[in-house]
Amino acid sequence: MTAASISRAAFVVFAAALLAVPTVIPMLASPFWIDIAAEILIWSLLAASVNLLLGYVGLLSFGQALYFGVGMYGAALSVIHWGAGFWGGLALGILGAMLMAAIAGSVAVRLTWHYFAIITVVFSLILYFAALSAKPLTGGDDGISFGAPDVLAFGDVRLSLANQAVQYYTILLVVAACYALFGLVVRSPLGVRFMAVRENDRRAALVGINVYLTRYLAFVLAGGLAGASGALFAFFGRYASATYMFYHVSGEAVVWAIVGGTGALLGPLFGAGLLIILREVISTVWEHYLFVVGALTILVVMFAPRGLAGAWRDLLAAMTRRPPAVAAAPSPPGTDAAPSTPSANATQGD
Amino acid sequence: MRDVSENAIALSVNGLTRRFGGLVAVDNVSFDLPARRLNAIIGPNGAGKTTLFNLITGEIHPNAGRVVVHGQDITGLKPHQIVRNRVSRTLQIKSVFSGLSVGENVRTAVMVHEGLVSPFRSATSYSAVNNRVAALVDQVGLTPHMHTLASALSYGDVALLEIALALANEPQLLLLDEPVCGMGPQETEQTVRKIREIAKTVDVVLIEHDMEVVFAIADEIIVMAQGAILARGTPAEISSSPAVQEAYLGAPEEADL
Repeated sequence: MTAASISRAAFVVFAAALLAVPTVIPMLASPFWIDIAAEILIWSLLAASVNLLLGYVGLLSFGQALYFGVGMYGAALSVIHWGAGFWGGLALGILGAMLMAAIAGSVAVRLTWHYFAIITVVFSLILYFAALSAKPLTGGDDGISFGAPDVLAFGDVRLSLANQAVQYYTILLVVAACYALFGLVVRSPLGVRFMAVRENDRRAALVGINVYLTRYLAFVLAGGLAGASGALFAFFGRYASATYMFYHVSGEAVVWAIVGGTGALLGPLFGAGLLIILREVISTVWEHYLFVVGALTILVVMFAPRGLAGAWRDLLAAMTRRPPAVAAAPSPPGTDAAPSTPSANATQGD
Repeated sequence: MRDVSENAIALSVNGLTRRFGGLVAVDNVSFDLPARRLNAIIGPNGAGKTTLFNLITGEIHPNAGRVVVHGQDITGLKPHQIVRNRVSRTLQIKSVFSGLSVGENVRTAVMVHEGLVSPFRSATSYSAVNNRVAALVDQVGLTPHMHTLASALSYGDVALLEIALALANEPQLLLLDEPVCGMGPQETEQTVRKIREIAKTVDVVLIEHDMEVVFAIADEIIVMAQGAILARGTPAEISSSPAVQEAYLGAPEEADL
């Protein structure tokens, strides 16, 4: 078996497991875990937006919570004030976040490294305080709540988020679509440009890439991912609050992305999954669960610097007894795998 | 392939000046380089050679002067726009996409040259691009390493890969900054052979410290010292020039940018 076929099989198992969540979990544990699974899916998109920037164009953003918050409010406000439905609210949340990213990004992507990280924090703080003070509109840190609209209303058939399974599958559908789109983009000629900029921005410019524009596009797309995450979370909680725009939310997304493995399509999903499940399990018995998260993160960074996804890839390479660089050789053209292309590990994880 | 008349000018630099604070790194430099020749620029450390290349490729903007390549004024354009004007360069410290395979490196350069930006179609599904990638990798002799990570290549092979990247935009002018710097004799020979081959169809300008290499392959040499042109001529003329000998042996080396 080649590494690619093992990965493919693992992916099928994983997809089946995700589809089975609402049926299987009630047999094994409290249905509460269905909501945790939904929450993991949602938050993983925020981590994915960090991953798109850090793992594919090499920019570390500590401000993705801003776009999460804009997505959240975009969905909530359009439902409350314009009577938007689920899909309309989701679309407006995503568009609002992309617009915000288009504005902030025009300044931020002129910088790199710590300057970029700092300016992304600054932007998110400014908007966080603005949202806090615009209490009549945003509800400040109390937030605003709303009744969730139907996902689908067609004649007598009405699908409501109030149904736990409907809510889970709706979230799964949107999240899967986001990852599919993400996967498509990073394998496309545009994705090729992203990775060139990540690897070596000077050489990227010297083969004719407009580095600024490339980073800018990635930043706006990452804003869209964070916006989708925020909009879904608003529908999930029927609630939007300025507290989610605070930078510790951004920081958490960075940790999820790094633990999961940057530069791997599904890495952030596994990072978010592992750490959220840990939080839920440990926080019921020990309030200082963040110590465990911190220790785990340090261990991952020290012993598996490419995260869970990297560890999975190394495991596959060991199993198929080929060193990683050579393992890529016999795979079909679509999957020739550099350590940071998503293909070899897009399917990690059972 | 190219339609160049016998006395065409590949690169014309006119009054080019760049100051860094009080230091004039490139001081009112003017020259015309004829097409179809292999031109070399030599000079002691700090003579302004690399700054001159940076000015030509738009990485640094000049305080004064113009750069014209094959009749087209490229002064003030950004580096990626200059690449589109069919000017390519390699760097003194070899610069490739080290986390990508050889094939992916070259594919990147080819796709950008072809202006492909689709966000949805698979990057590996363009058969014309794949063919061109295979041809370029073959041209520099790296076909056995097609799927090797650039970071796993030997130093000499990284240099060849960088040349392949530079050739992807079908350059009319290729600037090579110390192409054999840091190489052993075998790698030097391999690279020199490649440069000679390329120079048959592309106008090449190279900066080089290895005098043996320069005198062996250059048709014409420009000697720079302290930001200005000191001498110009055939290898025979340069090796017998007293001014050049003084610049290399007599005057103390000065640190500059």
